Amino acid sequence: MSTPKPKKKFSRRKFIVRSTVGVGVAIGATYFTRPLWRRSIAGFVNSAELPYNGSTDEPRLWFEVTADNEVILNSPKVEMGQGTFTGLAQIAADELEVDIQQIKVIHAPTASGNIDGTSTGGSTSISSLWQPLRELAATMREMLKIEASKQLGTDAAALTVKNGVVAHNGQTLTYGEIVKNVTEWEIPETPPLKDVSTYKFVGKPVPRVDLKDKVIGAPMFGMDASLPDMLYGAVVRSERIGATFVGADTSSAEKMPGVVKVVKEPDFVGVVATSQMAAEQAKQAIKAEWATERNWQSEDIEAMIKVGQGDPVTIQKTGRAKRILDNEEEVITAEFTSPIGAHAQMEPNGAVAHVENDNATIIMSTQVVNLTRKEVADRLGLAPEDVNIIPTYLGGGFGRRLHTPNAVQAAVLSKAVGKPVKCFFNRREEFQNDTFRPPTHHVLRGVLDKQGKIKAIEHNLSSGDVMFGSPMFPGIAEPVLGADVGAWRGGMIQYEAIPNFRTVSWRVKLPFATSWWRSLGLLANTFAIESFMDELALKAGKDPVQFRLEHIQEDEAGHRLREVIKAAADKAGWKDEVVNGRAMGFAASTDARTPCAQVAEVSIENGEIKVHKVTCAIDPGIAVNPDQVRAQCEGSIIMGQSAAMYERMFVKDGQLLPTIYGPYRMALMRDAPKEIDVVILENADAPGAVGEPPLGPIGAAIANAVFRLTGERLRSLPLTIA
Amino acid sequence: MTISFNINGQPTSLDVDGDTPLLWVVRDMLDLKGTKFGCGKAACGACTLHVDGKAIRSCSYAVKYAEGKNITTIEGLSNGDQLHPVQQAWMEEIVPQCGYCQPGFMMATAALLSEIPNPTDEDINNNIVNVCRCATYYRMRKAIHRAADIQSQNAKNQPS
Amino acid sequence: MKKAHRAYLAFSLLLGLLVFGFSTPRSHPPEPKLPERNKSTAAELTPEQAFDLMMEVLTHKRCVNCHPSDDYPRQGEDSHIHNFGVQRGPDNHGVAALQCQTCHQSENNNHAGVPGAPEWSLAPRKMAWQGLTRVEIARSMLNPDNNGGRTLEETVHHLTEHELVLWAWEPGVDANGTPREKPPVPKAEYIKAVKTWAAGGAPIPEE
Repeated sequence: MSTPKPKKKFSRRKFIVRSTVGVGVAIGATYFTRPLWRRSIAGFVNSAELPYNGSTDEPRLWFEVTADNEVILNSPKVEMGQGTFTGLAQIAADELEVDIQQIKVIHAPTASGNIDGTSTGGSTSISSLWQPLRELAATMREMLKIEASKQLGTDAAALTVKNGVVAHNGQTLTYGEIVKNVTEWEIPETPPLKDVSTYKFVGKPVPRVDLKDKVIGAPMFGMDASLPDMLYGAVVRSERIGATFVGADTSSAEKMPGVVKVVKEPDFVGVVATSQMAAEQAKQAIKAEWATERNWQSEDIEAMIKVGQGDPVTIQKTGRAKRILDNEEEVITAEFTSPIGAHAQMEPNGAVAHVENDNATIIMSTQVVNLTRKEVADRLGLAPEDVNIIPTYLGGGFGRRLHTPNAVQAAVLSKAVGKPVKCFFNRREEFQNDTFRPPTHHVLRGVLDKQGKIKAIEHNLSSGDVMFGSPMFPGIAEPVLGADVGAWRGGMIQYEAIPNFRTVSWRVKLPFATSWWRSLGLLANTFAIESFMDELALKAGKDPVQFRLEHIQEDEAGHRLREVIKAAADKAGWKDEVVNGRAMGFAASTDARTPCAQVAEVSIENGEIKVHKVTCAIDPGIAVNPDQVRAQCEGSIIMGQSAAMYERMFVKDGQLLPTIYGPYRMALMRDAPKEIDVVILENADAPGAVGEPPLGPIGAAIANAVFRLTGERLRSLPLTIA
Repeated sequence: MTISFNINGQPTSLDVDGDTPLLWVVRDMLDLKGTKFGCGKAACGACTLHVDGKAIRSCSYAVKYAEGKNITTIEGLSNGDQLHPVQQAWMEEIVPQCGYCQPGFMMATAALLSEIPNPTDEDINNNIVNVCRCATYYRMRKAIHRAADIQSQNAKNQPS
Repeated sequence: MKKAHRAYLAFSLLLGLLVFGFSTPRSHPPEPKLPERNKSTAAELTPEQAFDLMMEVLTHKRCVNCHPSDDYPRQGEDSHIHNFGVQRGPDNHGVAALQCQTCHQSENNNHAGVPGAPEWSLAPRKMAWQGLTRVEIARSMLNPDNNGGRTLEETVHHLTEHELVLWAWEPGVDANGTPREKPPVPKAEYIKAVKTWAAGGAPIPEE
């Protein structure tokens, strides 16, 4: 038997949060466009802890106790590989006093009411739910104890609880037995939380809760969803940059076998058929007409992404870096670039939609359940409550599923035929209609003092948009911030003991969609800054690790950064020399307050860069699951290596290419380092970001190693040696 | 046309257009969803399954070729509740992240181990060229070696 | 399509090229023009002219891509190393769990753009043509040490009847759905040229 669903109720906490945001935005619109304010906001955003945006005061939205004493955890965060389900289960189990095996984590459908108002992204799931989820679980435990005390006729304080069994004087009740007889729940004040050191699951390398399913092929991803009587849809998508839909000749498609209906909408044309194959073939028979204004080429894009073009915003300023650098003589200047990157996640985007009787059900992989629901509701003219988004496991996220027009298209097709419709991108469409990682250009300037320390440093970065233009992001924020928070992620100088430093972000709007790609600007910005730090260290005649340590300030962030730098160097046995054809390269970054340092061991084999080993030290604060922290580091390092060494989209005759794995070269088994050594430090008293920070250092670490092998400073991603 | 084959030990007959990719037959007609669609171009390996014990990328394999053959998908890799050594190793090393590409990798690895019971790192590099975007390659390599150990241990324990 | 039809079509195409300077639609790869020296019908070819015509085909990427001089098949119109570092393997059919047949079947798959033909595989190392001159290819082809002990008659049979060889004229489409470029000589002309060359004693010119 399940716990009764609570009625919607007014949440005071939510009101407070929302009105604060509202007031903030109003003030922001008036004052924050001033440079000093913009810098303050940028600084705040850079080190802010993003709160969870959803209900956290109703335990029954989150937990459902079943008759066989299992606790279902309705997760508003989605599982896309980052291990969030496992971390949430560990946190909940410890406060609920159940064994982790008793917890089953599922994706909360929006109809459950447990909705994340923002997204699963930004490496915030565990950090933002750490406090609320513990409080919810502890409250749920107390609620169960209160009900047990009524049923056992004793005081709740006298009860003991273990593994979901409440005991008193030899009498026992399981949680499952307790809920059977509950008619009305009493919700107590939030009880005190346990001491973190007493937790049995938090802090332990518990195997992933989805492990067994994922090894036997059982989990349901968006593309695995099906409904009775389901038909298959396909949507014609543009292959050219900036194309707008004009119309389509669908006459031959309409006559094809298996075609149920051709659906013409003002903004797209699609087809519904009885099988995946029939839909795909009919789509190819539709002759769509598109209007394009320009035949874009890679050179056009490269010419746009240049520091000095577009709108500059100074996001960081201490001392008088610009004045010093404009006047000194021994200024070192270097430029860096990064290319357009594709998400290339393995599961294409799509949805299974069923629209009937003014209700819509959408089953899909999405990182933005709330936005998806809103967009489907708006298009169908329904209230959001009439749309139920049922999230599934994601076949990779990486930011690709923060835009979900695919849900709207599937819903429109379903409505047109009155039956469930499954509609997915094919791989070519996935590559051509991606929301890409924007290309970047960086200009670094620095000058050393007589002691070989940095006197002044400046980072100018130019990037396409990441957050701006996203429906997730209120339009008002653009003029307030001026600079795209996503684009400059990782772009600030983290060595704050330098007396004069400055970062300027230049915004460029590109003709194709650019957006969030795991770690956003971190990959490119760190590549530029940390390659430059290496140059400055060599110029100063100092060891690059020591050189970095000399420029770190004495505060908490500085302490944590210093410790990961030392730990990575120690563990790797850091030596700034070439041994047996192998060299080490060093780099460090701080992202979302998590510092990470890496040492890459590299050689050149048959004219290609070979990465043998990466040592990584990371300090995410409390590591809820050390094994999954390691897994995220390993994956981030190889994904970052892949982006830094191989990946590049280009633009030819108005098309984004390539459109398939292989030509879009990514790291394979043979390319990945055989050894990855991860050291976890926990110099903060709460869990922080894990899933993205380790993507930062790898590009520069590899490039810095290559410099030691070849004497060539690689300034462009993907790294290629002459 | 009517096509008959064994899938995961079950004899199956279907009326289907012979040019339909085996992947869609397995997923949509037989409702075995463990085999994944990644690219439809035999480029990523997410759809890898076994036909007569050999690794096949089923998105590019017309179902007509399957006539009279034995097909194994990830759902049929284990022996009942007894996981295949590759699956056991994948559990021990906690390989999957998002998990989408993993069935293809495990099927490719199982095919590799049946041909080369103790693969070297170079064998692994040359044979396992599927794509994993979570980039779980580091653990996969460890798991492949571990699976080879489990398999040879099982072989030793089997009465001859 | 019947063979006679194909021959007729090929002949018409050739005629079109010669007489009208035939231009093909832009969406298809251009049909390369035949060299000047072949301005005669195959029936009238000397064995030397037949050699030239045959070599137009044998040095084309549809042939050479699978006759590499190293252990990596080539692919595409630019003959790049096969994606994913696919390898020759011990018997030219790929490595243990990454056989050619993992992806390539006995026919082209035009949904996927994956080419296929019976016995899809690499030519043995001894039959490597990549980087060889026409003369070197011809010598190698006739050398029993390299060609698997074939007689001239058997070599002609391989060149004119083997389905994998003849696939070059039905190469299907690539992953983008673009038709693959065919060899510059129509199939019937090529077959005739091979036979004319062989019948004339398989002369190999001095170059």
